[in-house]
Amino acid sequence: MAPLVSYDIISQNTNLPLAFAIGIGFGWVLESSGFSSSRKLAGVFYGYDTVVLKVFFTGAITAMIGLLFFSLFGWIDLNLVYVNPTFLTSAILGGVIMGLGFIMGGFCPGTSFCAASIGKIDAMVFIGGLFIGVFIFTEGYPLWEGIYKANFQGYPKISTSLNLSDGILALLVILAAVGMFWAGEWAEKKFPQAEY
Amino acid sequence: MNTRIIISIVFVGLGLIIAAVPQNVTLPYKLTAEEMLVESNNRVQFYSPEEIAEIIIQKNPEFQLIDVRSQDEYEKFSLPNSINIPLTDILADEYRDLLHQDIKRNIFFSNGTVNAMKAWMITRQLGWENNYVMEGGLNYWAEVIMNPIPPASTSPNEEIAKYEFRKAAGEAIHGNTSIKIKASTTIEIARPPIKRKNTKQRVQGGC
Repeated sequence: MAPLVSYDIISQNTNLPLAFAIGIGFGWVLESSGFSSSRKLAGVFYGYDTVVLKVFFTGAITAMIGLLFFSLFGWIDLNLVYVNPTFLTSAILGGVIMGLGFIMGGFCPGTSFCAASIGKIDAMVFIGGLFIGVFIFTEGYPLWEGIYKANFQGYPKISTSLNLSDGILALLVILAAVGMFWAGEWAEKKFPQAEY
Repeated sequence: MNTRIIISIVFVGLGLIIAAVPQNVTLPYKLTAEEMLVESNNRVQFYSPEEIAEIIIQKNPEFQLIDVRSQDEYEKFSLPNSINIPLTDILADEYRDLLHQDIKRNIFFSNGTVNAMKAWMITRQLGWENNYVMEGGLNYWAEVIMNPIPPASTSPNEEIAKYEFRKAAGEAIHGNTSIKIKASTTIEIARPPIKRKNTKQRVQGGC
């Protein structure tokens, strides 16, 4: 509910129950679309099931187009939208660790809680690992503080780095997403997997 | 026609429209006087002493604290890890790269807020982004971080938590002895009640 909170239209206290309701909805949709199966996520890496890729790309381009059109109509000020700061070293390291975790565990943090709530044991083990990771990170923080904060790049956007307008970059991302959508369909036919 | 083909065509069509529209048609580069007034009244440029204390303690590399007082005053007392750019030199060439960049967020501070606000207004009017102001300046810092006043025992929990944070932050930054800064002789405007909008809130989430 970011814009509503930023503009003080709703308070932080109202934000929490709303977030709770949205979270329940998110989990329900994840579970009913089959994301609570670890094979679904692992399938992306083996090519037999690319639903995860399609869902997240669809989500990303829908939000992107929505924001750009809202900005065009003057309904939202894109300067107020929070852009994550880029710490290059930790972004690469984190990406590698997260990716390995995806392949090995077959869950991402959201889907693991979703699967644990319907009683999947592998998801509970995954969550255990997640907490061990959190514990090691926080307790060892002084050891990796240097790496964690290294290579700060500011708040770069791909469009400004490539000297393109946001709109043109959006079009390129949409074309890439549509291309990938069809490539995913092709991969699913090429590497079929028995029903699971 | 296949639904997937229709959806693909819709997305590409919307992409073509958004690519054809000139960027930021609704957002001028420089602010008009009216917009400047709205922005300075909205207080979106302020960082509270608590936020600054957290930045200092965490050695957060996203921020640069800039003391806009004179060099003499800066040498006598300033915040840790801050640099000195006297207000009179704010437009000097040597500081341009620091003040007009898109990597770090600069936070100006002076004894009160008047001089820091001057620095912010000048840079903002030039279209330089990423410049902000410390709320209340060093006088307010001394009051709430270095010498916080304990709330009454009947105060709400939030007040007590705020006091505990201020006290701990003050000790972490300035050591255990509470230092009294003499109130500045410059006349500063009275601080309006705190009602700050957080311009860029960190979002939590992901898959």
